[in-house]
Amino acid sequence: MKTDDLINALSRGVEPTERPRWRMNLAITLIVGLIVTAVLVAIGLGVRPDIGAARMPVMMKAMFSALAAAVILPIAVQLMKPGRPLGWRLVAVVIFVGVCALATSVALMGEMPEERWQAWMGGEGRAPWCVVLIPILAAPTAALLTWFMRAFTPTRITLTGAAIGALSGGVSAMAYAMYCPTDSVAFVTTWYTLAIAVCAALGALVGSKFLRW
Amino acid sequence: MADEAALKGLLLKGLAGDEAAHRTFLTEAAALLRAFFRSRLRGRNEDAEDLVQETLVALHTRRESYDPNYPLTAWLYAIARYRLIDFLRRAKHRAHASLDGVDVGEPDPDYQASDARRDVATLLDKLPEKQRTAIRMVKLEERSVKETADATGLTESDIKISIHRGLKTLMRLMGQEQPQETGK
Repeated sequence: MKTDDLINALSRGVEPTERPRWRMNLAITLIVGLIVTAVLVAIGLGVRPDIGAARMPVMMKAMFSALAAAVILPIAVQLMKPGRPLGWRLVAVVIFVGVCALATSVALMGEMPEERWQAWMGGEGRAPWCVVLIPILAAPTAALLTWFMRAFTPTRITLTGAAIGALSGGVSAMAYAMYCPTDSVAFVTTWYTLAIAVCAALGALVGSKFLRW
Repeated sequence: MADEAALKGLLLKGLAGDEAAHRTFLTEAAALLRAFFRSRLRGRNEDAEDLVQETLVALHTRRESYDPNYPLTAWLYAIARYRLIDFLRRAKHRAHASLDGVDVGEPDPDYQASDARRDVATLLDKLPEKQRTAIRMVKLEERSVKETADATGLTESDIKISIHRGLKTLMRLMGQEQPQETGK
């Protein structure tokens, strides 16, 4: 086919386009993801038994996770359409990680030297399971977000996959806080952040398979 | 060639439903894309033109993905680059897919010949009786059309038509049996 013929065929009878309400759809996607993850936590892991007394730390951990998601969100939105620079949105992520590292070291310095390792690992004989569990719980949200994103036109699909992964990791961590038995600051700023980073890495790996158009 | 502002105006008018503006936009975009792809695929102008067309379709079907707050050329080239990467990946895949991780070695000439004979026989069996006989006698046993006509009791032109039709069917059958090339 000649290119000019193609142009004629494409431009014949164009109609005015209407702007989709993507903000609403994105909000619904994230909320549904959060609800699904919360149900999974409640069924699969169980809510921590002292949830009433521990309301404050659970809230703090959920807020921390929500903040992480909020830092990633502008990047994901920017990647939805081609040709939009990321700029300060990437800087925000770097600042967020820097503040986490700072908070971790300040919190650990505040502990007695012999208790530092325990505070960091979440207690005697514990391992930071959230690094494994948060990515697993993030899967449904990541699938929903990928489905949402496929309606758009991401051209940097590896980066878009990473953003989707990190965003779903943040949502997943919010729900995971209901179960997570460890409340020390250094634990959360280290391992939650790392779990979200794992989600981003998985998203980058998988993203290019599903986001192609 | 139109500049950024003019091009943006054309696309926005097209988005509002202006057919002529949209056509002009696509024409201008095609010129930009042609230069873009030709400079990256030197000496492969046919591939470049295919990519121009693919990208034009993408620009058209996804024209709503343009955000007027950012430069139009950034949007256009982001899509063009995406299509180019996709094309290169497909080309690479085509070149390596059958050989990746497989040690094929040297083909055995005897086996190949018998293999080819068996395949032709299998394919011939799928043809109607008359076409099969005509092709076997004339093409494989190398008898003349007249000999074949005498042996089968058919007319010479009947034999020729049968061969012609039979070969066409064979070509179609072989096309089906071979793995289809992806892409164009």
